[in-house]
Amino acid sequence: MEMRTFRKWCRTFHRELGFLAVGLTLVYAISGIAVNHAHHWDANYERTLERYSIEPPGTGPTSEIEPVVMERLAITEPVKSTWRAGETEFQVFLEGGGYDVNLATGEVVRHGFAKRPLLFDLNFMHLNSGKAPWTGIADVYGGMLIVMALTGIFLVRGRKGLTGRGGVLMALGFLLPILYAVVSRGGG
Amino acid sequence: MRNVSVLLVSVLILLVAGVALAGESDKVYGEGVSAPDTMLVSELMATPEAYIGKTVRVKGTAVGVCAHRGCWINLASDTEGETVRVKVKDGVIVFPAEIMGDMVVAEGVWTANELTMEQTKKVCAAQAKEEGKEFDEKKVDACMTLYQISGTGAVVASK
Repeated sequence: MEMRTFRKWCRTFHRELGFLAVGLTLVYAISGIAVNHAHHWDANYERTLERYSIEPPGTGPTSEIEPVVMERLAITEPVKSTWRAGETEFQVFLEGGGYDVNLATGEVVRHGFAKRPLLFDLNFMHLNSGKAPWTGIADVYGGMLIVMALTGIFLVRGRKGLTGRGGVLMALGFLLPILYAVVSRGGG
Repeated sequence: MRNVSVLLVSVLILLVAGVALAGESDKVYGEGVSAPDTMLVSELMATPEAYIGKTVRVKGTAVGVCAHRGCWINLASDTEGETVRVKVKDGVIVFPAEIMGDMVVAEGVWTANELTMEQTKKVCAAQAKEEGKEFDEKKVDACMTLYQISGTGAVVASK
């Protein structure tokens, strides 16, 4: 194949795949930043915490204190389950949250969580939590990125291309991960 | 060249249709469960050394979940106050916050990690923080063995 024809094919693939990849790239890029900082914040859920007190239900047998706790919490939502976590700890689980009750002191912590709009779904896709169906899309997307990267090299000729500034930038792009790998391995 | 675009868009549409048709799958995490018998958590915790390295399957209410990465859940035992942790590889299985309070059947290999004194203190400090209690490291006088299920799969039992 002539170089001119080859470049033409590269341009076509790069352009078409480039448009196709915009949405998917935003999914992975936005979620990537979000989950990169998972140790600083919860990227999937907005959480709420409310503290208050009820009259202490006491630390008697669970069968006796459970109805007392439920009555004093005055829960109106359906209860999923309950758990006596310890002598003084009682937990109530609801859809989207729950209660931690200190049976001795009556201190209550009301936990709530709700999926972050949009970001939850982006993370679900990025982390491939749904497995099988998305695996195919993610594989195709990965392949598209490879094709775009390789075809991109041949788009521009001359001093802005591979033999000029483009080549230097490409070398930097290789050097960065290589240096990081060497340094991080060296540091154990 | 137009054919290339048509082909690419067709592939994408087919893949998206596949996702849509797959819909909301059963609440199966990882490889699900396949071990023949479900054992009581209390039975497992009573003689933990006996099961080290063996594949175990337990059932219990999810009473704790890793808040940030969904990489573990704690299942309630049939004995009050006792729990067992199911730890999964980060990203391989992600337990959602919604699993709290659900009845879960989980499977994996029972493992024991003997901690050093320093590690024991760190674990105790983290547990105390999680439970909102004060931690006094002088009270830690013995090394801890951390038992957990190295989880390969889980299923949320139908309600």
